[in-house]
Amino acid sequence: MVDIWNVAILDPVLNGLIALSQMLWSNFGLAIIVLTIVVRIVLMPLTFRQTKSTKAMQELQPKMQELQKKYARDQKKLQQEMMRLYKEAGINPLGCMWPMLIQMPIWFALYLSIMQALAATPENLLILSQHLYPWDMVDQAIPLNENFLGLRLSQPDPTLAILVGLTMWVQQKMVTPPATDPRQQQMSSMTTMMMPLMFAFCTLSFPRGLALYWVVSSIIGIIIQYFVAGGWGYFTFPSFRQHQAQTQPQSATQKAAEQPSKALKEGSDKKKG
Amino acid sequence: MRKVRNLVRIVILLGVLLLVFVSGCMPGMDGGCSGAQAQGWSGFAPYNGLICFGSMEGSVITLSPQARSEGKTFPAEAEWIYAIKTATPGSACGAMCAPSSAASGKGIYATPLVIGDLVLVGTYTGKIYALNANRGVVRWIYPREGFETVGAIVGNIVTDGTALYFGSANGKIYALDAVTGDFIWEFQTSDKIWTAPVLDNGIIYSGNYGGNVYAISAETGREVWSIKIPSAVASSLAVKDQLLYFGTFDRNLYAVDKADGTVKWKYQAGNWFWATPVIRDSTIYAACMDKKIYAIEAVGGKEIWQFEGDGQMVSTPAVTDKNVFVVSEKGTLYKLDITNGTKISSISVGYTVYGNPYAEGDMVYIYARDHKVYAVDTVKNTITWDFSSAIK
Repeated sequence: MVDIWNVAILDPVLNGLIALSQMLWSNFGLAIIVLTIVVRIVLMPLTFRQTKSTKAMQELQPKMQELQKKYARDQKKLQQEMMRLYKEAGINPLGCMWPMLIQMPIWFALYLSIMQALAATPENLLILSQHLYPWDMVDQAIPLNENFLGLRLSQPDPTLAILVGLTMWVQQKMVTPPATDPRQQQMSSMTTMMMPLMFAFCTLSFPRGLALYWVVSSIIGIIIQYFVAGGWGYFTFPSFRQHQAQTQPQSATQKAAEQPSKALKEGSDKKKG
Repeated sequence: MRKVRNLVRIVILLGVLLLVFVSGCMPGMDGGCSGAQAQGWSGFAPYNGLICFGSMEGSVITLSPQARSEGKTFPAEAEWIYAIKTATPGSACGAMCAPSSAASGKGIYATPLVIGDLVLVGTYTGKIYALNANRGVVRWIYPREGFETVGAIVGNIVTDGTALYFGSANGKIYALDAVTGDFIWEFQTSDKIWTAPVLDNGIIYSGNYGGNVYAISAETGREVWSIKIPSAVASSLAVKDQLLYFGTFDRNLYAVDKADGTVKWKYQAGNWFWATPVIRDSTIYAACMDKKIYAIEAVGGKEIWQFEGDGQMVSTPAVTDKNVFVVSEKGTLYKLDITNGTKISSISVGYTVYGNPYAEGDMVYIYARDHKVYAVDTVKNTITWDFSSAIK
């Protein structure tokens, strides 16, 4: 199992990263950024599909609100009607998570590649030798220069950990539609919060190199989402949220369940107009 | 609703998997997922019928093979242990808040050096300890208290009897007074040094990870010459007559003229020559990470013989008049005929070995990654005793 993993995924990523570093003036940080862009390009079809799905869900939101009002006292019927609406529109409401899940093996491979390529300890350097291809470009790159913008890529960094969590959370919020059922909303909020928190926590002990990958990857994701979906999606800025809370005094769960995003509200207003 | 629940379950499962993965729990993964720890791989320094080594627990230990073979309780007469304090700034909160200059890890990579009644040890945390060889108490420590460490010391210390010379991960070569530990000079190279220098006729030769080899005056610390090669220097240097020998990360063993650094020949193998080449008479014995050991003519660079083992050859072989003893990374000790590389016998200690074996008489001593020293009788081909360094 480990051998298959090494031969099929880890070794190609590791050697590719090292060769890329050598091509980019022995700059490993730059190699990580370029690889991130490459990974995002490869996953672009998935990203577009997910972004379109998000946008379609935004457009459905006025109808969803109508359903919420209509079946406020019958949750079972509401669920059925919502699923019917999604089905008719050809939308998978859970589709937003798949690009993240598909990227998991790539993250694992990249994590191990960065750890092994940087070879922070002499033992790591010995382990690295077992994974290298006999390419001149790879031979000449070893051991890698771990300095990038004055930072050592093999060391952890709490600032980057916070950035990882923050950018991931923003990206998640942009694509996660608000749920109508308070319990569902609670679970959805937990999911949206849990992943970024978990990644931020793990990044506290990760090398900067991996944190760099995550931050760049999330920023690219946010940019794609912003331009393709035409705005911040379901993400609402805190000031807007506060303003809304003041103008619409409701219970916390109701507020969470019914709060539309700014873009959503604008879309709804246009349709009403 | 069910789909949402399933999704949450998937996310939680992936989260748990991620944590398990990060904490290094995926079976069979090299060195764990968070990377191999700096445990060290010290070899042995003999003196007065004893053997001294640096342990993976960060202690300097002197053993009496006689006492160990008799099964006496450690420490027996003449034996001692000195635990090096490895606490560095930031150790309370882990690597995250440790200063970038400090290396964490308590293992000792450098083989101790014995001069008179002093045992000298370089540590991964960047200090040189001078201990009394008879009792294992500290005489001096460099850098002095209150001064910053010099960067990780991985390569051995060398001496001309009056001064000590060693390279450091901060890219500097240092010269200290051998008796007092006083600073004499330092020489800044272009990159990290994880190997040992070699001393010959008043000149220090050292390679670094920037692909440079330097010749430096041992007296003044000034550069005599330097060369740049296509790849970083992987092994410590060895010198014999007019030539310097070292392995590089481009899978070559180089021979360069010690007078001016001109490359005389190079020999390419299937992986790195990480171990220090050993020269005996007119032959070089070079262990390679392609699982082979090569015997090569020192002057012309022509292969005499090669022997393939069951794993990477990381440690420097021990060469005697008749035999070459080499240990594979898988922990198999091979006894080879020095003339043609034929295997005479082999024995496995069952654990990974990175440290150099030491041969004395019929015995070969090996320090394996299970934290045990194994004494192998190479005539009977048996392990006569073992000693765990994980003692308090």
